[in-house]
Parts: sequence; C-alpha cells; structure tokens
Amino acid sequence: MSKLMIELTINGKKRKVKTTASTRLLDLLRDDLHLTGTKEGCGKGECGACTVIMNGELIASCLVLAPQADGAVITTIEGIGNGGHLDPIQEAFVETGAVQCGFCTPGMILAAKKLLKENPHPDEEEIKRGISGNLCRCTGYQKIFDAVKLAADRLSSRNGGRGEKDA
Amino acid sequence: MEESFENLSKHKKTCQRTVPCQFFAPQRIEEALEILSRYGKEIKIIAGGTDLLIQYYDRLYEVGSWLDLKNIKELKEVKINKNQMEIGAMVSHAQLENSEDIKKYYPVLSQAAADIGSPQIRNRGTIGGNIVNASPAGDLLAPLMAYDAQFKLLSTQGEMSVPAEEFFIGPKKTILEPVQLLTRIILPLPSERTYGCWIKIGKRKALSIATITLALVVEMDEDNKTVKDVRACLGSVAPTPIEIKEIRKKMRGKDFNQLDFAELGQIVEDKISPIDDIRGTREYRKDVAKNIMINALEEIDSSFGGRINE
Repeated sequence: MSKLMIELTINGKKRKVKTTASTRLLDLLRDDLHLTGTKEGCGKGECGACTVIMNGELIASCLVLAPQADGAVITTIEGIGNGGHLDPIQEAFVETGAVQCGFCTPGMILAAKKLLKENPHPDEEEIKRGISGNLCRCTGYQKIFDAVKLAADRLSSRNGGRGEKDA
Repeated sequence: MEESFENLSKHKKTCQRTVPCQFFAPQRIEEALEILSRYGKEIKIIAGGTDLLIQYYDRLYEVGSWLDLKNIKELKEVKINKNQMEIGAMVSHAQLENSEDIKKYYPVLSQAAADIGSPQIRNRGTIGGNIVNASPAGDLLAPLMAYDAQFKLLSTQGEMSVPAEEFFIGPKKTILEPVQLLTRIILPLPSERTYGCWIKIGKRKALSIATITLALVVEMDEDNKTVKDVRACLGSVAPTPIEIKEIRKKMRGKDFNQLDFAELGQIVEDKISPIDDIRGTREYRKDVAKNIMINALEEIDSSFGGRINE
C-alpha cells in the first residue's frame, strides 16, 4: 500500500503524518500520534467512544478515513483542558460522579463541549439529544446529565452568561 | 456451484492486488468523472463514509482505490432554481435538518434527516450516500419518493435524470452504473397547501435502523380541503422504498374531511409485504403500518385545525 502524506491541525498543533489510503482517522490518532484518549468501542459509529471534533463538528473517528481528514482541524480529549488544569466540563464530570469505568468519558466530554458551545443553556431533552451518539454502560446517564448541567451553569457564570468559549 | 467459484476468483483478485491503493480527492466534478471512467468498479466512491466504512469495517484492505467527493464544493449546495430545489449529493443530514429552505418546503425530509443515527452520523452522512447505498431502511428514501424526487446521474458520457421510484431495484441495488456519479437531487417546489407527516418506528430514538418508516405528503386543492395529490411512501417494508399507489387513487379528488382514515390504513397494511427480521416480524410491521398511516392522516388533519364539524 502506497504511503501518502497528510497535514492536520490537532489540538492546535500542525502535524504532518504519513499514512495510507485505507487507514481510519481513529487509528491515525491512536497508533501514529499516540493520542490514545480517543477510544475504539464498536468501530461502527454506534457507541461514540471514538468521538472527536473535526472542523467544528462532532464526528466518529472510526468512520472517517485519515486522508479524508487532510487539512482538517481536530480536537481530541487531549486538547481539552490546559496542562494540569481540567476544563470546567471535566471538573463537572469528576464532581458529579459521571465517570465510572471511563471508557465513554472522552467522547462524552467532547459531545458535551460541542453541545455547550452551540447551546450554553440546554434543557434535559437537548442534553439527551446532544449526547445521543455516545453510549455509557455504567452510569445510567443521570450523572452525566447532572455533569453537563453543572458545567453549563459554571461556564455561563464565568463567561458572563455567554456560555462555552471557543474550543 | 458456478457462482461460488466465481466468488472465489473475485476474492483472489482483490487479495492479490499489486497496484497500490490510491486516494483521490478531486476539486472538480469533471475530474471525478474522469477518474471514474478510468477505474470503474475498481474504485469506491466515498461521501460521508457512515455506511461504507461499516460495510468495509473488517475488510478495508479489499478496496482498490478511493474517490472522495469532499472537495467538490458544488455538491454541497442547497439552492432554489426556478420552481425546483436542487440538493447537492454531498449535503449532510445535519444540513438537511437545519436548512431553513428544506424545513419550509420539505419538512418531512428535514424531520427524517433529524431522525438519522446520532449527531456524529448526521454531521458526516450525506443525502447522496443514503440514496446510493439504497438500504431498504434508508431514512431519506421514502420522503424523497413522497416529494417526487429526480436524481441527476452524471458520467463522461453525459447526464441523465431518473425518478426516485425507478432508481431503486432491490436491497442495496440501484440502476447506477460504476462510471456514473449521483450529483444532484431535484425536488419540485410544493404548493403552499402541501402537508406532510414523517413517522419512524425503531427500537430506540438514536442510532436505530428503522423497523418501518412512513412519509405522507398531501397536496390540497385551492379550497384547502379537496385532495389534489397524495403520496404515501414507506421504508423497511419491501426490498426498496415503495409508494402505495392505491392511496392516491382512493384519496384524489376527495374532501379530506370525508376520508375514512381506518380504511386508508387498512389499504397500506394490505399492500405491503414485509419480511421477518431482527427489527420486527412481518405481522408486527403490517399492524404498525396501518396504525402509523392513521396517525399520519390524523396529524395532517390537525395541522389545519381538525375536521370541520358538520
């Protein structure tokens, strides 16, 4: 299989990566870039564990070929928060007990990030819809809803009611 | 026997590929058509990839080459051209869900798009991919038939236009040739007195493949009560999405207030022949088809204020 070179901006850094035509973005992130916060659950777009934000949109990285992401701007869970400081959404997940085994958490956090950026004050139905592409087999979701609500409240009070800042 | 040998040799051919797998992402339709005419069956056209990469999940190595349509801007446009709507094949489900024009003129299509998969799937999956994949359960297919869609197929040999109901010929089978590209979906602009209802039945709200879908579109006459035209289209009840033509015969020219909804529901039940599968039995699907037809008629009825008391 011939190699091809793609260029992406991942978590704010430009990266040039050699890959192949049939490599999935998920494998590129995990194996080539060692960004193993992005998980593989089902590999078929149903569980959301591989969720990342690409060009401002929530996507399943198992259903994107690496060369399809050529030129894209991508945020993975490693790009959330700042060094040792957690993002307010991460803090809220920790405080409400919304993390159990943790496998769905990176995808959940990114789905919550995207939701709160577009809709700083979601109601319960909107939260459900926002994370409807992400399965959690531990929490029963209630604590995740609580976390998203808590994060929404904190973000809007910090940003003077404007909600989530740019990712 | 003959067939299985043929399959074996096909398999061998793909496994012993010596030409490296290539990835094409042209910016112009003409370039894409050139590539298609050169590679034909050897190349996989990829749009959103939300069906294709599931299909090839454990055999990505089998794909000879990829033709990615992501850079062709004109395939991502939604525009009104005279009395029709043109939707590019690369328009995503999220775009259909959120486009003001689609919501205004084709609410059934917009609602169907909103019911697909999950945010992750709707952001990547495209209308063209949904059509070409031709799953009997494809959520957009019944709505497209109900709105009388035409598909524009382009190749280096020229363009052809095919009505939705002639395009699908079996489960995952269409008349599309390997050298052809679906470029646009054309929908006539409906009159102001057009009412629609979308119903999808599945095991859960998100990420479910439809057990049954119904797209009902009713156009009223100028008096806003005589049925001028109607299309009742269903998904997941036959090898392809289908229209129940008897409904049109039965409803056309009638006063909507005088219609017997239960009778119309029964016609839908009688005219479909679904199969038993993991998402529902034949018997269940028949029952549900009748009931959702009645529900859809009632919803349309209430959308213009309920039946007039006599």
